Amino acid sequence: MRRRTQNQEVLAISEHELTVMTNDLDQMHHDIGMPAMNAAVAEWTEKIRTSRRGFLIGAGAVAGGALLAACSSGSSSPTTTAAPKSAAAGGSSMSGKLTGDLAVAALAASLENLAVAAYGDVLTAAGAGKLGTVPPAVATFVTTAKGQHAQHAQAWNSAIVAAGHPAITETDPVLTPIITADFAKVTDVPGAANLALTLENGAAQTYQNAISVVKATSSVKVAASIQPVEMQHAAILYFALGQYPVPNAFNPVTDARPLTDYTG
Amino acid sequence: MRRLKERRSAPEEAVDIDPRAMGALIEQSQDIHHDAMQVTDASLSEMVESGMEERAHGAIDPEESRDVAARRSRMMTGAAFGGGLLAAAGIGAALQGLFASDAFAASATDVQILQTASSIEVLAVATYKTALTLPFIGGSAANPVVKAFATTTMQQHAQHLAAFNAAITQLGGKAQTNPDPALNKVVTAAVPGLTSPGPVVALALELEQGAAETYVADVAALSDLNAKKVTASIMGVEAQHASVLLAVQALLNANAPQLITLAPGNVANLPAAAGSVGFPQAFFPTDQARPATEGALS
Repeated sequence: MRRRTQNQEVLAISEHELTVMTNDLDQMHHDIGMPAMNAAVAEWTEKIRTSRRGFLIGAGAVAGGALLAACSSGSSSPTTTAAPKSAAAGGSSMSGKLTGDLAVAALAASLENLAVAAYGDVLTAAGAGKLGTVPPAVATFVTTAKGQHAQHAQAWNSAIVAAGHPAITETDPVLTPIITADFAKVTDVPGAANLALTLENGAAQTYQNAISVVKATSSVKVAASIQPVEMQHAAILYFALGQYPVPNAFNPVTDARPLTDYTG
Repeated sequence: MRRLKERRSAPEEAVDIDPRAMGALIEQSQDIHHDAMQVTDASLSEMVESGMEERAHGAIDPEESRDVAARRSRMMTGAAFGGGLLAAAGIGAALQGLFASDAFAASATDVQILQTASSIEVLAVATYKTALTLPFIGGSAANPVVKAFATTTMQQHAQHLAAFNAAITQLGGKAQTNPDPALNKVVTAAVPGLTSPGPVVALALELEQGAAETYVADVAALSDLNAKKVTASIMGVEAQHASVLLAVQALLNANAPQLITLAPGNVANLPAAAGSVGFPQAFFPTDQARPATEGALS
């Protein structure tokens, strides 16, 4: 894409200044965001370790039922015949069902795994020239968002691993075939951005729903620290698509993934 | 000021969007918002029932409430401060340890938390209202996207205020209609310096980030399920406001205001770093969360 000379000068400055700013913000992330999150995860995992028979695990049968009822108010499971895409062969599966807060964590981890896989597919398709010209800002967005989703998956999995279960490495089994089928039709950047928007909004609404479903305060903290970040991803995607970036005064939960994605 | 002069000399660069298209986008957003509002209304309706039930079992104990407030205040001011204007006001801390107390006064504390949230929203509405009187934010010299953002965001904060106050009333508390006193001093002190878009965006960003962090902390502190749902439905929206302001601030700082546009294809002109400037952290922090009782009514 050709730009006017004047714009190139402006953008040369912009690139440098924005890169410096981004580096500063990245440093802030490590200085502020990560320690806070680490504290929440540490609190979470410690509670699990010290109360294996407590509300997180022992009450699983009851809590699981309640969670199922609460989460099932979300959108119904779509139907598709497309084969699910596994994000990581050889990893643990979701066949060994968890209950209670851990079931919510498992669902969340599977959504994060799907986001990581989807953004990875976008990068692969972009590299192969299948999406046309990919603007530099889009490439940065995809790379950065993918990395943050990987961190989110790790955070959700920390509680599961602390409870003695293998980490969830599978992608959401219900949503995956839908996304796979939709991605097969994507031929350009706006198409990929719209698909990413579906994933980001779905994740944000799922975690928002989880806040009122999970029992442990530490679980609430983890969900609350991730939900706004997914919404920020969505805001930038809206902006990239030329849409108003903050469409709702109140974020809905109508597209929250139901726990049946995990429990089957 | 330098950027303001530049923009006045070349207004055609800043005006890069069809106002009718913007109007249509806003209308679409409002349609979606009305759908989302139904969810919040449902939460508030549930809250009415639970609030009535709680009141039937006894009113809020002011002594207990003040005790909880004092302990939370001590915890907040004893923690590490973050950067920025809010931190300069001597505020900002995580809510670690809040839940260790057996004497946690659920509904009283919930009311205090919600009153503080209302006070933040009161101030946000007032601040955007003031900003919109400035020619480079709400006047003819304004970037249309910035103007639309300020207008819409002010309306969204007014809706948040109404929701928080409805929640307070339903829990048996008194609606908060005054601004957060500590933050209000910060805004008042900043107003004389609002001579160009940059300082306005910086001030708005501080408010939005502070609001978002406060609500992220609040959802873990609130006891009432529906108060939690209402707050959770708002916290990410404030984070989105912050995200937009981060992007706008970066483009202003890079002397590229013409890129603040929703014109189709604009993304192709954005610098690479613009793709990540709006979400600097993988996990939303709470170090700039306001103390829960800062805006509570005594």
